[in-house]
Amino acid sequence: MENWTQRIFLKTALMGTFVASLIASTSPAFAQDKPLIEPDVKPQVVNEALIDTENFEVGTFFGVMNIEDFGSSLLYGARINYHFSEGLFFEANYGQSKGGKTSFETLGNVDLISDRTYSYYNVNIGYNLLPGQAFVGGKYAFNTNFYLVGGAGSTKFGKDSHFTANFGAGYQILLNDWLAINLSAREHLYRTNITGKDKLVFNSEMSTGISVLF
Amino acid sequence: MFKKNVRLAFFALFLMTIFNQWVIADDLIKLGSGQDEKLDQLARVKVVEAFIEWHTGPAEGYPVFHVSEQGEWLHILIRKTSWMKVRDAKGLEGWVTVGDILLMEDETGELVSLVEPEFDNYSTRRWELGLMNGEFDGSAVNSAYVGYWMTENLSVELWGSQVLGNASEILIANIDILHQPFPSWRFSPFFTLGAGQLFVNPKATLAAAKNRSEDTLHAGIGARYYISNRYFIRMEVKDYKVFTHRATNQEAIEWKIGLSVFF
Repeated sequence: MENWTQRIFLKTALMGTFVASLIASTSPAFAQDKPLIEPDVKPQVVNEALIDTENFEVGTFFGVMNIEDFGSSLLYGARINYHFSEGLFFEANYGQSKGGKTSFETLGNVDLISDRTYSYYNVNIGYNLLPGQAFVGGKYAFNTNFYLVGGAGSTKFGKDSHFTANFGAGYQILLNDWLAINLSAREHLYRTNITGKDKLVFNSEMSTGISVLF
Repeated sequence: MFKKNVRLAFFALFLMTIFNQWVIADDLIKLGSGQDEKLDQLARVKVVEAFIEWHTGPAEGYPVFHVSEQGEWLHILIRKTSWMKVRDAKGLEGWVTVGDILLMEDETGELVSLVEPEFDNYSTRRWELGLMNGEFDGSAVNSAYVGYWMTENLSVELWGSQVLGNASEILIANIDILHQPFPSWRFSPFFTLGAGQLFVNPKATLAAAKNRSEDTLHAGIGARYYISNRYFIRMEVKDYKVFTHRATNQEAIEWKIGLSVFF
């Protein structure tokens, strides 16, 4: 009988120490898992979605188009570029101008063509040949590019479209990460018989414009 | 008179925009350090290499003007082609190559991993775009296309072409299926099959001929040569069967060469 009561007390004592030790052993571990101050930001994994890429450029330009036999006129247009390496880029242009009168038309008071709208599109490949910097005073430095472009497209003049090759060069000043000023000179070549004889014409373009990079 | 005013207004707007941008750009430089809330959302990387070089612009040709040492944390602002603009703790900004960024750790302590296009792994470059020039039945042709890779061998392409002949101008819209049997070859041949529509506009100088449209089917062979993982030269020859409204059908051979890029 004595043994029996001893056993009961022993059991409860053992249970007590076990529970106590359990609490003692788990609670500090619990405290280690949760820091005193929980940071509200998780470590960020860097991936493509997090980085803003700026390989496209859209712009407008205006200048002078010299149309062989038909004088020089105001030119305006739009341009889109895609930069696919640090040097190389695609460029698509659309430009519009208006042909003037040939000297024959002025002297004879006649019209050779009814529609004088001159429009062209072309798709080119460009190369940033001379990257550099330009300095304005002592405070400002702007990145610049001297680039070459060449490609093909079509010119519509006197209601007819002609396959047109074009090449040229340009100078770009980047005012900041997303805005640039462009100056460019291009030569457009195509065959036409608009003045009566089949010949290769050379039309020169000088233009300036702004573009937005995104 | 009205036109002159429009031109003047356009020019004034142009000047104002430039002036504004200058002012805004100037303000941004002054505010620089005050944009901390925005910086928190940007990617942060730690230099692991002994040092990395900073260029003044996004090309090898721009001069190196600064270096970051091992252990420095940088914020990534923007990416342009294979360059990234970074900002250090002092607010200094410059351009670092993506190759250097890939040798850095992010906040988890892992090396930065970005999916870069690889020519022999189609899952890294599903879309492609190309510009091509050549001849269609003896006349000059300008073309552009967009392609989507469904598997590493098969892609679908949408084409737009303009043929500028002596007697007429032809516009062609095509849909193609392309198969390349050896996707991991740097010089990769391919076969293509497609269907489309031809729109013929005779020249204004010719006696009044009507515009017409015709159905066409074509088959072709070609090859792609990968200059880098991002862009390649493509050349191809296509044989067109044109189903005319006249008694006989016509056949035309087209060859083109051009440059394409992956997105």
